[in-house]
Amino acid sequence: MATIAQPLPGTRIEQPKPGLQIGKYFRWSVDHKIIGVQYLALAFTFFIVGGTLAMGIRWELLTPATDLMASGTAYNQLFTMHGTIMIFLWIIPALAGFGNYLVPLMLGAKDMAFPWLNALAFWMIPPAGILLILGYFAGQAEAGWTAYPPLSILYSPGNGQTMWAVAIHLLGLSSILGGINFIVTIRNMRPEGMGWFDMPLFVWAVLATSIIIVLATPFLAGALTLLILDRVAGTSFFNPANGGSVLLWQNVFWFYSHPAVYIMVVPAFGMLSEMLSIHSRKPIFGYRAIALSSLAIALLGFLVWAHHMFTSLTPALRVPFMITSMIIAVPTGIKIFSWIATTWGGRIRLNSAMLFSLGFLSMFVIGGISGVMVAAIPFDIHVHDTYFVVSHFHFVLYGGTVLAIYGGIYHWFPKITGYMLNERLGKWHFWLTWVPFFFTFFPMHMAGMLGMPRRVAVYAPEFQALNQVISISAFVLGLSTFILIYNIVWSLWKRKVVAGPNPWRALTLEWNTSSPPPAFNFYGDPVPFRDPYGYGTKEAWDYLKEQAQELGPSYPANQPPEKAHPVALAPAAGD
Amino acid sequence: MNLPKVGSSSSSKGSGAINIFWIVLFGVFVVVGGVLIGQLAPSMMPVAGSTQAVQVDQLFQVMLVIGGIIFLLVEGLLVLTVILWRQRKGDESDGPPIHGHRTLELVWTIVPAITVLMLTLYAYTVWNNTRAVMPNEQQVGALGQRFAWTFTYDAGLDDLPPSVDVSTLPDAEMQAKLTGGERVEFQSPQLHTWVGQQVNVLMHTDDVNHAFWIPGMRIKQDLLAGLVTNIRFNPIVPGVYRIVCAELCGGGHGDMAGKVTDNGDLVGAWLIVHANEEDYLNEFYYPEIMSILYPPTDPVELGREVIQDYPCSGCHTLHDLGWTGVTGPALDGIGARTQRVAATGSADMADYIHNSIRNPSAYVVPGYNNVMLQFNPNEGQPNYMPDSDLEAIVAYLLTQTQ
Repeated sequence: MATIAQPLPGTRIEQPKPGLQIGKYFRWSVDHKIIGVQYLALAFTFFIVGGTLAMGIRWELLTPATDLMASGTAYNQLFTMHGTIMIFLWIIPALAGFGNYLVPLMLGAKDMAFPWLNALAFWMIPPAGILLILGYFAGQAEAGWTAYPPLSILYSPGNGQTMWAVAIHLLGLSSILGGINFIVTIRNMRPEGMGWFDMPLFVWAVLATSIIIVLATPFLAGALTLLILDRVAGTSFFNPANGGSVLLWQNVFWFYSHPAVYIMVVPAFGMLSEMLSIHSRKPIFGYRAIALSSLAIALLGFLVWAHHMFTSLTPALRVPFMITSMIIAVPTGIKIFSWIATTWGGRIRLNSAMLFSLGFLSMFVIGGISGVMVAAIPFDIHVHDTYFVVSHFHFVLYGGTVLAIYGGIYHWFPKITGYMLNERLGKWHFWLTWVPFFFTFFPMHMAGMLGMPRRVAVYAPEFQALNQVISISAFVLGLSTFILIYNIVWSLWKRKVVAGPNPWRALTLEWNTSSPPPAFNFYGDPVPFRDPYGYGTKEAWDYLKEQAQELGPSYPANQPPEKAHPVALAPAAGD
Repeated sequence: MNLPKVGSSSSSKGSGAINIFWIVLFGVFVVVGGVLIGQLAPSMMPVAGSTQAVQVDQLFQVMLVIGGIIFLLVEGLLVLTVILWRQRKGDESDGPPIHGHRTLELVWTIVPAITVLMLTLYAYTVWNNTRAVMPNEQQVGALGQRFAWTFTYDAGLDDLPPSVDVSTLPDAEMQAKLTGGERVEFQSPQLHTWVGQQVNVLMHTDDVNHAFWIPGMRIKQDLLAGLVTNIRFNPIVPGVYRIVCAELCGGGHGDMAGKVTDNGDLVGAWLIVHANEEDYLNEFYYPEIMSILYPPTDPVELGREVIQDYPCSGCHTLHDLGWTGVTGPALDGIGARTQRVAATGSADMADYIHNSIRNPSAYVVPGYNNVMLQFNPNEGQPNYMPDSDLEAIVAYLLTQTQ
């Protein structure tokens, strides 16, 4: 009998454990897996920072007057940083992290097309983040993440506002470089036999996102350049006193920032497609419709920006944007119904990843419904810039993207680290996120409709009861994040439950290698299964069985390993 | 070899239970539930005070019914799929290899497309109706400033109260203006109108963008630096409605909304809808005109009146008038702060207050930012404040020693 090189999956190891080599994650590396983890870890750190700021916001709003914050200006700085950090330093880089880690693996590639550029794009983020936070000592930005002039040019005296603009500029450049890299990788590095419509849907989602990034982010860069010039060089692009236009900023900013909403949610759609199909043990329903609806959303996303300007745009121009904004509901609806049809009739494994995926569906649909409501001009005129809108985009970005990221962490953590996360803690994490999430953000609809504007530290006393419900739920929601952190730290510290190459018995290629994958990802050239979602077929069963014989068994140990010698097959690093 | 069943779509669990009866029952549950959710619409909105509000609320109710149906459909299917299709103990098989269903996919593409199309048409109709222009609209100017609202009304010779005899006015300049056919203006922090009268609010800003929002009227319009914008509404229910700033304008953004003092007085920006034109004239318009035609002779009394026409309440606290702003230093007790006179090198207390209004950046009270508006003495300059008003305001503030 052959010597077992790897510990048995599902077993508790008592012998010395392999080191984690944490140091390599703090150094320059061109390995897409290390860069992916770097993105995820850095983004999660900023998530904690942004979340702490959110706790400050909710603490301040417990009472109708200013109390935690010294002044309204300090409060404005608080939510400006909360929004900026959550968008540019948490959601966008976290999704880029999943993309970096998974796209080459799903394509059976050794790395991204441009590994060095990939590393460069990542290493632009830490200086940008530091610059943003150092703004605190130079008069923090206080004009909101939308930075409307003239407030952001003439009435924000601190240098923090300029530093904010430079930091976003840098983050935008990082995004563009990443986007180009993804497009080239997906175009050029698919394995033989994998056509466009054989790609996993996550890859489709990253492709759609990257197209948006490459086409839209330069507009943000242009707008920020003009803003910086207005602030430091005395130009007047946005200063009406000298012939500038405040609407110019709004148009160009939203021409980026509405597509940016899809940058922040389409990759989450992709993750969801993977998780729902795998954990329902059933092929994705309507593959082409989901793939093409990502592209449709990417395209339509460029035609709706002015719905953010329904109270400032010339009235006659508002109608076309209402039409395009309404149409977006159609491809989004196709996705939601296709996902439900995917789970229908399956054999649903109700694990943490699946719970978060179903949680996404249940909450995202509320964001979709309120999205159609705010697309209707007369209703939007009432709720524009109120807590209704705050509620709407948190249902999309937290109830949608963040829940998908959580699910993605439970789903791909075994691949990234080689160890399972604790399921019991995962379920606690889900319920203590999902329920407080609803009670944090749903009452905001009411506050907005009844008359509470957003971005205020003082509000009318009749909204206090609603705000206290919101704040207390928000505190529970904030604390629940630590269950995930504890779970991750505990799993990595103990390293008890070995994952094996393919714990979910998935057909996509990232599972067709050891966990974590070796340098250059695969042992030889991986052969993709003909259909990434071909569950329920005899061929899939045979493919997975053969895979287990080649790579060794996985958690949970269904059968004892007949042969387990993946180490012998692995090429040496740098080979 | 214990090979689990593969591709067994004819599973005895679940699918057998799905027949036409259950589909119809679920459909009825979803539709009835959606209609019931729609009945909650009125409780989620403030009192509908205008014709615009009535139509927007109807639109909201329709969208809430549709939204409620979609919500119950999706959440219901999610609950059912988890109950019906959760992995049974010991079942290691996969689900059936179904990749799609053309008819079903066409249905959930076309039905939502038609729904949003109808909704778009309906919303467009509502929007056109809410913007309809009526004859004889009342025009009111609105100035948004950091951090208060000022509404400007005007009056010509024909608008004066019947009791006024123009030939006996104390102010000769005013008399000449009125008899010459010009209109005189006066300001108020409140917007007054009456039931059935269409109001056209013409707004501008001298600093940053603001947004003029009256939740009770369901109207909102941004004030854009460098442009004049407007919005119309037709009040139908008498009462008071809070005016709110909805576009971030700085530290005192939240203070631009109307407030209620502890003893129930309205401070700052409120819309007052009088029951009819007569009430509007007698309770607001005529008294305001009388106060500019026959200003109080006591400067303290005059100062207390005119200071309320300037945008001070958003930033300063002054209990005599119910102000609670915190962006600037409190005006309570300003008349007793003699140490400031020496600190600023002013001649006396009156001089200090005078300079603080005419040139506020010359001396900024420690702990506050230099954000106060500078009020200029010449007509045509921004933030015009005539010397007569300034002297009265100084006289009034000197009495505030507590």
